[in-house]
Amino acid sequence: METFFQSLVNGILTGTLYAMIGVGLTVIFGVMRIINLAHGDMVMLGMFGAYWSYTLWKIDPFVSALLLVPLLFIAGMLAYRFLLKAIIPGGELNTLLYTAGLSLLIANLALFAWTGDYRTLNLSYAEVPLRPFGIAVPVPLAIAFGLAVLITVALYFFLARTDTGRAVRATSQNAEAAALMGINVENISMITFGLGAALAAAAGVLLVPSLYLYPTVGEILIVKCFVIVVLGGLGSVPGAIAGGILLGVVESFGAVYVSVAYKDTIGFIIFLLVLLFRPQGLFGARQA
Amino acid sequence: MKRALPIIAGILVLCIPLMVSNQFLLHLGIIVLMWTVLGVAWNLLGGYAGQVSFGHASFFGVGAYTTMILYLSFGLAPWYGMALGGIMGALLSLPIGFICFRLRGPYFSLATLAVAEIVRLVALNWEQLTHGPMGLLITTLPVVTLFGEPINWERKGPFFLIVAVIALSAMFATYLLARARLGSYLLAIREDEDAAESIGINTTRAKVSALALSAFFTGLAGGFYGMYFRYVDPDAVFPISLSIEMVFIAVVGGLRTIAGPVVGAVFLTTIAELVREHFEVGHLIFYGLFMMLVIRYLPDGIWGRVLRFFTPHR
Amino acid sequence: MALLEISGLTRNFGGLRAVSNLSFTVAAGEILGLIGPNGSGKTTIFNLITGFLSPTTGNIRLDNENIVGLKPHAVTRRGITRTFQIVKPFPHLTVRENAALAALVRLGDRAQADAEAVRALKQVGLADKLDIPASDLTLSDQKRMEIARALATGPKLLLLDEPLGGLNPREMEDACGLIERIHATGITVILVEHVMKAIMRISHRVIVIRQGEKIAEGPPAQVVGDSAVISAYFGKRAV
Repeated sequence: METFFQSLVNGILTGTLYAMIGVGLTVIFGVMRIINLAHGDMVMLGMFGAYWSYTLWKIDPFVSALLLVPLLFIAGMLAYRFLLKAIIPGGELNTLLYTAGLSLLIANLALFAWTGDYRTLNLSYAEVPLRPFGIAVPVPLAIAFGLAVLITVALYFFLARTDTGRAVRATSQNAEAAALMGINVENISMITFGLGAALAAAAGVLLVPSLYLYPTVGEILIVKCFVIVVLGGLGSVPGAIAGGILLGVVESFGAVYVSVAYKDTIGFIIFLLVLLFRPQGLFGARQA
Repeated sequence: MKRALPIIAGILVLCIPLMVSNQFLLHLGIIVLMWTVLGVAWNLLGGYAGQVSFGHASFFGVGAYTTMILYLSFGLAPWYGMALGGIMGALLSLPIGFICFRLRGPYFSLATLAVAEIVRLVALNWEQLTHGPMGLLITTLPVVTLFGEPINWERKGPFFLIVAVIALSAMFATYLLARARLGSYLLAIREDEDAAESIGINTTRAKVSALALSAFFTGLAGGFYGMYFRYVDPDAVFPISLSIEMVFIAVVGGLRTIAGPVVGAVFLTTIAELVREHFEVGHLIFYGLFMMLVIRYLPDGIWGRVLRFFTPHR
Repeated sequence: MALLEISGLTRNFGGLRAVSNLSFTVAAGEILGLIGPNGSGKTTIFNLITGFLSPTTGNIRLDNENIVGLKPHAVTRRGITRTFQIVKPFPHLTVRENAALAALVRLGDRAQADAEAVRALKQVGLADKLDIPASDLTLSDQKRMEIARALATGPKLLLLDEPLGGLNPREMEDACGLIERIHATGITVILVEHVMKAIMRISHRVIVIRQGEKIAEGPPAQVVGDSAVISAYFGKRAV
């Protein structure tokens, strides 16, 4: 029974971090109908940013986030303005292929600069896990979970209560109508892409104490991200959160009760099943 | 004259092993030709039918493993094994198509990615069949005599000929497809799938046919890979990056052209070699960069742009 | 015997009943108008007939043969072709190639298909625009091309989904004339339209749909005066 709860908690904690990655991707898709294949690599950049900050200057990753996240927000906006904007009129598939190229570029530049060695970030306070109710919870994971929740709440307030946030939601529901209402769709798209990148960076920073780090980690992350986003319904933030947690729990249980080797496979199979039978996602709205 | 040009070029390519003896150059040529086959194969589905698959590595790997397993466990000569590898690829494409063709556009692409990953994970873990991460190794190829002389498998020449024949067949198949009704149906599907359906085209059957043909040649190339490199493991023949590179070759070269993938293969392989010489790693950086540049500035691909330059309108 | 027989046709989307227990027949050689307020389910009916959607329950029979469950391409091959409310040309192909493709599916021979395509394009008045890429046409011409493409499949029954949408009055006149000429060649037509003048002028019979249900049926003049119809369009107070 203890294994069950340990598994469950692990799954929820990891799942929340997955969710953060998924939220960034889904927000971008919701507004611009772009599937950003480079999203996983943006997470990787966040991870490396935190790693180098800690290794070189002893800055705790949760602190370096304060710099990295805004940095990647701006980088994301610039990437949209100078790279993507011209591609989008070419169609969904062209944009998909373009982001695939971007992903390859970023990942391999990182590989070239930092080599393919697996790295880990060992924080001093990560040694002894917390033990609420007898369940082992690594400290960094707990902090990451807490921050992830905070960020999600902040995101909710942004989207629901601020003018810009409402503009983002309006644009994602109907870009034409939003434009007619006076919303500058181009600016909103730019901000949204920046937001997606910032969320990716945040997810990376939160993840780095708990995951192996290497330049091509984006490959696995992006695939997991799709599973999450499809489970939750493309474009739905609550869906991405639910999907992330669900994936985390399924993987955790899968590793314990089925086999470690096939735990990734389970995620993919669910992905395919959802795409086939409920393409709008478990929580998404049905399109006519 | 125009029709004779490709035939002459094809004959010239087949004569190369007779004229060139530099083993490194022949090896380079073999790599270029192998990527050409992959690009041409992918183009059948991606360029003509407009269905972008990110999962073609699964057919390549299946072809490679089929060839290796049939030779190592049953003694079936690799050239027959290759053909069976192609057939296995085509067979695998049927359930994959059944699952993935329910979806359109980017959703289809993502589904192919997921399926390919599942195939890779199965290959990695089904140790009984595939030896898992250890992979499979061929030490000696069977003895074959041609005109009384045994073929020297230590030289690159014979391999060059084999892969050249495969490449030329694949290109010829593309040519036939483009002229056949199926080719027109695929174009219609690419333009607007619903409209294609509404004028009486069985879009599912057309897509499945294109995929099966595409998977056949991809599997064939995989079989050749096994025979040439003599070692396969899941990381070499099933990775996502291989699927993506196939896409790049076709897109950079020019979708919906027969020679486009050749141009793409030559271009990207040359870059890879140059980079390897000067920097050792990082050729994928240029793959990514060129992908981005081509989509931005040359959406028809390099060869597509060249062709457009020579035709008056359209 | 009717060319097309619909009985008890129902289609639900989750809790929403888009088409509800609909029954009607279409006689060979008539022009049937299908009208109703926006969102009443008219395009859904077309989607059901042509196989783009499958009915939750109900029967659809063409020449007394059940066609429920057939994929759209099979329905087209049986003789029903539809046009789309929002035009769907093959944008990078020329006008000629658009129509020729449709004919090719039916005839199998490229030369024959091309001849058939040219014939259909002449019929709709696009003979002078054969080699222009479809995406370069005006909306009115694109709609005509789509009709020519549909004609090239050799249909018995043609389903036209708002062919007059987005056209100016002059273009509407031409389109009405075109539909009448097509009908004169022996093709049965079901026409979904909002432009009342056109419906009144062309249709032999009209069916009014509201919220997925048939609320009136009959010759155009009679239907227009029906109180249920007036209330559907203008509200109860207008009756």
